[in-house]
Amino acid sequence: MIEAQNLSRRYGDFTAVDGISFSVKEGEILGMLGPNGAGKTTTIRMITGFLPPTSGNVTVAGKDLFESPREARRQVGYLPENVALYSEMRVDEYLAYRARLEGLSRLELRQAIPLSLERCLLTDVRHQVIGTLSKGYRQRVGLATAILHNPKVLVLDEPTVGLDPKQIISIRELIRQLGREHTLLLSTHILPEVELLCDRVVIIDRGRIIAEGTPQSLRESWTGNPGIRLTLKDAPEEAGEVLARIPGVVGVKPGGPGAWTLECERGSDAREDVFHAAVKRGWVLLELGRERGATLEDIFVRLTTHDAAQEGAAEAAPAPPQELQESQEVVS
Amino acid sequence: MNGILATFRRELRAYFFSPLAYVVLFFFLAVNGIIFVYLVGQLNDPRSAGGPPLGYFFRASWLMLLLLGPVLTMRLVSEELRSGSIEVLMTAPVTEGQVIGGKFLAALAFYGFLWLPTLAYGAVIAAYEPVDWGPIAAGYLGLLLIGSLFLAIGIFSSAMTRSQLLAAMMTAAMLFLLFLLGVFEELVNNDAAKKALGHVSIWNHIDEFASGIVDTRRLVFYLSGTLFFLFLASRALEDKKWR
Repeated sequence: MIEAQNLSRRYGDFTAVDGISFSVKEGEILGMLGPNGAGKTTTIRMITGFLPPTSGNVTVAGKDLFESPREARRQVGYLPENVALYSEMRVDEYLAYRARLEGLSRLELRQAIPLSLERCLLTDVRHQVIGTLSKGYRQRVGLATAILHNPKVLVLDEPTVGLDPKQIISIRELIRQLGREHTLLLSTHILPEVELLCDRVVIIDRGRIIAEGTPQSLRESWTGNPGIRLTLKDAPEEAGEVLARIPGVVGVKPGGPGAWTLECERGSDAREDVFHAAVKRGWVLLELGRERGATLEDIFVRLTTHDAAQEGAAEAAPAPPQELQESQEVVS
Repeated sequence: MNGILATFRRELRAYFFSPLAYVVLFFFLAVNGIIFVYLVGQLNDPRSAGGPPLGYFFRASWLMLLLLGPVLTMRLVSEELRSGSIEVLMTAPVTEGQVIGGKFLAALAFYGFLWLPTLAYGAVIAAYEPVDWGPIAAGYLGLLLIGSLFLAIGIFSSAMTRSQLLAAMMTAAMLFLLFLLGVFEELVNNDAAKKALGHVSIWNHIDEFASGIVDTRRLVFYLSGTLFFLFLASRALEDKKWR
């Protein structure tokens, strides 16, 4: 749905975005993650056609953004970072204006506006002047205009910034619903949001993509093999050997009296076998649990911290797989 | 076309929703009324030279356009640049030219609306003596042409900056320069320069229009000038992207 090839954008000597390529498949929710100033907004502005890239290409729904800008823009609904609305207009008036701008006919407009209002839970405030609405409502008005012309692609730039927790939850719920019908590109620096909403993540830093994958695969690739932690009462001597023979276990590390950490093959869960082994031998199992893997937050912090001391720590971390090692070099 | 029409509707609406419009309307009508009453009073004096009152009225009241131009246009683009609403506007399937065109037409429509009440002056005069409507129509045409050039210049300044104040000042400076050309005509000694300045002197133009002369050279001057500044405005808006 969205193809970005080698996008670069320079402001004078400063390179805000440096050769970014990615694609968003139909029906997918792609999260764009990065610290403030990483180039997320610039990238998004190039995809929506607001900023022309210094070099590179964007295709939206098969339409090249520079050869047929109007057709391409028609396929995109855009919620910018700062939702600027005309504060003297009423909500429904504003939507009508936006609908006409998108080229909707009178008939289409009459159907589209109540639908957008309803989906964004704005029906009650439709006659209210926009200037009197709270930030959360304005954000929803922004979303309502983005989906008004039923675009194939929705681009949302930090949709939950500046909202209170309750509003954040309702906007996220709305985004999740929209994700079922639209292809979604979502930029954010809030990590739980990505885990909650996105199928795939692109991490951007200093204008480059430094990691890419599903939240799951990113986590796994940085955690290494999944681990199991267990504690046995009275520390039976043969435990180490027995545990090592459990299928799927590739390594056993003792961790204090009676405590063990098992390294398992990817995708396996040996907890059940550990339990049965313990029961068979009459061991008392005090604790059994999965080792907490790296969260997206850990990965994000590791990838985007440029401080020298932190960088040393990142290198000492479990070896990331090949594709991430390459991006690691970009960081250091 | 959608772009022009949607922008036009929204901007015209915005004029009537802003307090500024009513303040402008009030002072515009007040000053016009004072000019008209004073003129009629003077012309009633048996020692006066006489002549059609509205002719004098046009020659005097166009000067207000020097103020009206900046005031009516300063908000148009600057406000969008400042608030950031330009971002959703320019990512809609519309071109810069359509946006500028729609805004210009809205400003022109509001400008026309301001003059509407002055039509009553003609009716008042007609109640007392026979009126030659030709020069009056020509006078209004002149005001429309001068107004459209001034508004186009104003939109151009507005598209140059996100500060309304700066936009108003730039417009005022350009309009004042244009106004001064008419003054310079009287001052220069060089014949060629005098002739050239005479062609661009708004004083001369309104004088002609008010006496009922519609010269195609003036039509070309104002229409091409208007289009030129609207073109510059849409270029200025486009240029904002590249920085």
